[in-house]
Amino acid sequence: MTGWPTAGGPGRREKADLSRLSGVPVELVGVSRWYGNVVAVNEITFSLTPGVTGLLGPNGAGKSTLLSMIAGLLPPSTGVVAVDGRPAWRDPSIYRRVGLVPERENLPGYLTGRGFVEYAARLHRMPDPRGSAAEAVRAVALEDAADRSISGYSKGMRQRIKVAAALVHDPAILVLDEPFNGMDPRQRLHMMGLLRSMASEGRTILFSSHILEEVERLGERILVVVAGRLAASGDYREIRRLMTDRPHNFTVRSSDDRRLAAALLTEESVFGVEVGSSGLAARSADYGGFARSIALIARSAGVSLFEVVPTDESLESVFSYLVRR
Amino acid sequence: MTGEVPASGPATVVGPRPFRAIVGSTMRSILGRRRTLLVLLFLAVPILLALLARSLPGGAGQQEAVIGILDSLVVRVVLPLVALLIGTAVIGAEVDDGTIVFLLVNPVARWEIVAAKLLVAEVVTLLLVVPVTALTGAILVAGDPSVSSSIATGFAAGVAVGAAVYVAIFVAMSVLTSRALVLGLGYVLIWEGFLASLFAGTRNLSVREYTLSIAQQVAGVDLTAGQAIAWELAVVMSIVVFLAAVAIAIRRLASFSITGGG
Repeated sequence: MTGWPTAGGPGRREKADLSRLSGVPVELVGVSRWYGNVVAVNEITFSLTPGVTGLLGPNGAGKSTLLSMIAGLLPPSTGVVAVDGRPAWRDPSIYRRVGLVPERENLPGYLTGRGFVEYAARLHRMPDPRGSAAEAVRAVALEDAADRSISGYSKGMRQRIKVAAALVHDPAILVLDEPFNGMDPRQRLHMMGLLRSMASEGRTILFSSHILEEVERLGERILVVVAGRLAASGDYREIRRLMTDRPHNFTVRSSDDRRLAAALLTEESVFGVEVGSSGLAARSADYGGFARSIALIARSAGVSLFEVVPTDESLESVFSYLVRR
Repeated sequence: MTGEVPASGPATVVGPRPFRAIVGSTMRSILGRRRTLLVLLFLAVPILLALLARSLPGGAGQQEAVIGILDSLVVRVVLPLVALLIGTAVIGAEVDDGTIVFLLVNPVARWEIVAAKLLVAEVVTLLLVVPVTALTGAILVAGDPSVSSSIATGFAAGVAVGAAVYVAIFVAMSVLTSRALVLGLGYVLIWEGFLASLFAGTRNLSVREYTLSIAQQVAGVDLTAGQAIAWELAVVMSIVVFLAAVAIAIRRLASFSITGGG
């Protein structure tokens, strides 16, 4: 695994310094992007090497903005976004090496699926557009529907035909914005297999998702983006550990909250309790351990448990923990 | 660096230039739109009006009336609106629905995209407005010795130049703004229809004036009660405005940014 420079670092506001680039497939150095006063991407630095990388973050974290910049569709406000060692912005020649699957679902409805992929092949000046299109359509397993008008396609079919169009020129770098949106579990599995096999051929694949499980199953490496910042990057197991080690909050309702709170405080893994009108709030470092031990503690204290609810299991709270870390 | 990646570098680029593919796709998208039907209905209006004018008693022998119909209906209304509807459809429609991204993520020179799109818009617009102008004029002047028959030819020639310039302007507008249709309509109604003709100076900046000046020169008849700008100026300005619009469209498309996925 190559180095993963962490986000932030000293503010790099100077003009793009191309000599710092190492020429890996995709490289971002001190990249920020803002719209008016709103900062969408804040001082992000990372590089991508062949293999699958998952870009994880809640909606609105700046994932799409990052992908747009990598795909040369948006200039960074500061910093450099480079593909193969060259700035991606205003250089259509990068698309010989890059394939993009955008998030939007609008597709030219006057074309058939095959026609759409073939058009992409012609725009890429493929020697045999028909043959290349047929191959790409086969790769996403859409042969049966390929000759129907795109206007009648389901969400999952649209996703797959977009992937086919992005694959048609055999790109070394594939960028996918939320590729699993709208796919059923079977299609999802197929797409994951496809991306995995493309990565094993030495391609650099970056896909975004707001669903942890998708990234976990596919990404060998993970970039976590929260509120425009790179919150974590590296091996997914490492990040998974960071996520599970964080403190967990629970809300407990019982027959005697005060007595239970006192009993809980003697427990090693519990490092905070608070009794309020809506019940007892407890914080524990050990998610599974707390759930197991609270029943025993309650019984030995002579308290009946009515309800134990983890209060912060949303992805957003996981992300915000990583940011504060 | 990446080992055995079967990436297509420049060496494998052997297919034809994508110009034809873009032209073909643009034609299909235009023909499949409801807007195109609207344009056809619109084009029937001057022809029907000319037929009506000739069928009424006393409908002959009035050169001013003939010029009036061709100027105020064809040059002022039909020409710019057809150019607007077609010109904003070739790129503007893709900008509106976001499908432009699929055109931009290809190693295609931006001038080639603009050239292909512009060609389609120009050809379609010219094929629609020039015959309609010629036919409307022919109906109005046919068999009427008191009206100069060259008026029809003159207007057809002027409208051809005007259409070419208008279309380039509207193609550029649709790359510059996502509200090209509304802004274009405002430009046609307010600038071309009203403000530009108020002063001698602003006339030099009006496509309608170029159209009339060239029509008058070709017809050899005074169509504007002596108000027209010099035809040489009209020709030069038409070329300048056309080239400027094309240059702006190419420049703007080269740095066309797309935010996120929506």
